Amino acid sequence: MDLRTAKQQSNWQRKGYLHKVFTPAEQSLILASATPDTLVWLFWSMKEAAYKIYSKEMDIRNFAPTSLQCTIFDQDQETSSGQVIVCGRTYFTRSSLHQTFIHTICADSLVLLHQIKVSIQGDTHPADLFTPAICKSHHGAYLAQVYLNPGSLRSTN
Amino acid sequence: MTKTEILGRLQPIVAIYTQDQDALQTLNEDTDFIKDLKINSANLVDVVLDVEEEFGIEIDNAAMEKMLTVKAAMEIIEIKLQEDDRK
Repeated sequence: MDLRTAKQQSNWQRKGYLHKVFTPAEQSLILASATPDTLVWLFWSMKEAAYKIYSKEMDIRNFAPTSLQCTIFDQDQETSSGQVIVCGRTYFTRSSLHQTFIHTICADSLVLLHQIKVSIQGDTHPADLFTPAICKSHHGAYLAQVYLNPGSLRSTN
Repeated sequence: MTKTEILGRLQPIVAIYTQDQDALQTLNEDTDFIKDLKINSANLVDVVLDVEEEFGIEIDNAAMEKMLTVKAAMEIIEIKLQEDDRK
């Protein structure tokens, strides 16, 4: 997710916004954070990544961001790992935090999560690398592509 | 409020966030906010909040869950307005 695009297009500080998107626990963490912008888009990125897998697995389409419940296990300045629970299903996430973008990969097991390879390009859309990407996400100036062994569940955002 | 009135008040709201102006020209009940108008999911929240303000209604999470098309939005607005009338 391109943070410059997100900043231009969305104002999460708008009245009622946090309440519609984040669980009470997530809202508390955002409001107490020294870097609330980053946390808002990190949670958002985690939710979107998990939703991609969940909606495919369940063959549903909905807009229920508060039903995707994020927990962060560990975070430093560059990476964050966590999980998203939705309707009793758990998805593990790993996010890269950069000055201008956040990218989250997600899988239904930690083993799978560690097998994911990521390629991120800004501004231009390069041809695919050695194999076709199994999941792509495009936002603002960035295109993220994810590679993995066939037959596994995974997503990117 | 008639369906035409609802659609007439909904149209300028979605126009703010749409990324596909051509699809906006042919806006109808079957128009999908994300697939057709290319509204990003972060802005779909703004559509919901703007609809709440415009129509003076409250859209709970259960209703918001379905709000992916013009038709679903119009149905939710109609139901919420009727509920408010009965209060």
